[in-house]
Amino acid sequence: MNAIAFADVSRRYGDVLAVDGLDLTVEAGRTVALLGPNGAGKSTSINMLLGLLRPTRGRIEVFGHSPDEAVARGEVGAMLQSGELIPELTVRELVAFVRRLYPSPLGLDEVLEMADLTGLAGRRAAKLSGGQTQRVRFALAIAGAPRLLVLDEPTAAMDVESRLRFWEAMRSYAEGGRTVLFATHYLQEADENSDRVIVVAGGRVVADGTAAEIKAGAGGHTVRFTLGGQAAAGLEALPGVSAVEISAGTATLRTADPDATVAALYRGTTLEVRDLRIDGADLEDAFLSLVQESR
Amino acid sequence: MTDYIRIELLRMLRNKRYVIFVVAFPVAFYLVFSGIYGGEVAAGGLSGKAYFMVSMSAYGALAASLMSTAVPWAQERGSGWLRQLQITPLSGWKIITTKLVASMLLVLPAILLVCAAAVLVQGVSLPPGRWLGLLAAMWLGVAPFAALGLTIGSLLPPDTAQPVSMIGMFGLALLGGLWIPLEVMPEGMRSVARVLPSAEYAGMGRGIVAGDGLPAGDALAVVVWAAVLGVIAILAYRRATARA
Ligand SMILES: Nc1ncnc2c1ncn2[C@@H]1O[C@H](COP(=O)(O)OP(=O)(O)OP(=O)(O)O)[C@@H](O)[C@H]1O
Ligand SMILES: [Mg+2]
Repeated sequence: MNAIAFADVSRRYGDVLAVDGLDLTVEAGRTVALLGPNGAGKSTSINMLLGLLRPTRGRIEVFGHSPDEAVARGEVGAMLQSGELIPELTVRELVAFVRRLYPSPLGLDEVLEMADLTGLAGRRAAKLSGGQTQRVRFALAIAGAPRLLVLDEPTAAMDVESRLRFWEAMRSYAEGGRTVLFATHYLQEADENSDRVIVVAGGRVVADGTAAEIKAGAGGHTVRFTLGGQAAAGLEALPGVSAVEISAGTATLRTADPDATVAALYRGTTLEVRDLRIDGADLEDAFLSLVQESR
Repeated sequence: MTDYIRIELLRMLRNKRYVIFVVAFPVAFYLVFSGIYGGEVAAGGLSGKAYFMVSMSAYGALAASLMSTAVPWAQERGSGWLRQLQITPLSGWKIITTKLVASMLLVLPAILLVCAAAVLVQGVSLPPGRWLGLLAAMWLGVAPFAALGLTIGSLLPPDTAQPVSMIGMFGLALLGGLWIPLEVMPEGMRSVARVLPSAEYAGMGRGIVAGDGLPAGDALAVVVWAAVLGVIAILAYRRATARA
């Protein structure tokens, strides 16, 4: 069963086409990252998924229902990109209130524990730090035990340690078949915390798969060596090579098949190859090249 | 929904501005005015201390209903708390009903405290039936102002809702004759006062205290105002919460 289905969904704000014909389904039980640069359309897509925004075109379903129905049934919990709490209320009061809006919520202490808020339960929202506020917003998102958890850049404002703990909490929430969709620009976060990465840019999906597949699909590896004063002609014709860059006497070849490239470099050219290095492109490179291609 | 109402009451009772404007001011003003004019006899045969008891509980209730609606509601829309609620199973009509009910409950401290000060400090005494009538009229009669506050909160951002609701509060209080008795107002002001619901709201209370029963004209005017402003509040609320 699909937890999420977007069918040819577009969203326009005046002249800006923020989401452009998005087609995508997410099976129940998966943890999916929506990865994209600023303005890619992540928040717009998420707000449509939550029923806060209406698509200009196309249709969205959440567990087979409209977003509004899914929200009304308590099947969805979310942390929006920004949002403040009621300053005069304590953490416990806020969480207790929101969890009781749902038909079969998690226990209050359980939620506080999962969001690492047990020690802050009695504190008023006005007195929380930015990272602590984020944790409360996470607690509000999971309090109702929703089947679908949606997180829009959840670790913004968190320090390194809070991030690690946050993702741990997210994973333990996802266990047992819950579906999670989160938006991020942090490539590493997408890689480490999801089993599928959907890369969006300019309102369109530009790649979709596991982090490893995305790395491979985006001209995967680099082969570097010292070229010195030798002529670079013919390098771009080597097998697998998609781009060649020469700077300060160093040649950098981007390739999908480093073995074939290196073999041909030695056998098929007369170049004197020194200081050879092969690197797997990191997700960062993969991501940047995907985003640039889509422009 | 009772949970939601409880949460709304709790947060306002912890809000300093609410407590000062709504709980402290009306009582303090009552003590000052009734100290100066308490012995005089106001129009309609009411003693000054009873007259100002009605005026100041009306002012307190008016302030409470506007203060607990306009700015908090504008802030919730602006700060994202509304959106947080919109992604829970809480329905839109429950949100506005709760706001209205909570605001009506939050006027009670102002009314009760002013009446308590009148009884304890100035020795005002009324037959039990008139007390009940007065409290009921002052409480339910605040509906137009709660609706006005929700309308302001739905239409304006927090930084404009703040001055507009303040102006609304002082304007309604002043021109409605809550500060200066209508009888001593210049004619121009009085003609404005006649069309404002605050004059009729206090008029209901004065009629009851004087033993004349609920003045039908005033009560009707308040009901009409409540209906008109209520409809406007609902339309404004729908506009403010529409998913575009
Ligand atoms: N309310 C709005 N009115 C007009 N344009 C908007 C509005 N909201 C978003 N946009 C535009 O739509 C595009 C997509 O925005 P969106 O917020 O969905 O991006 P995003 O992927 O969430 O970016 P970020 O990583 O910065 O949060 C951007 O070009 C943005 O300027
Ligand atoms: Mg965003």
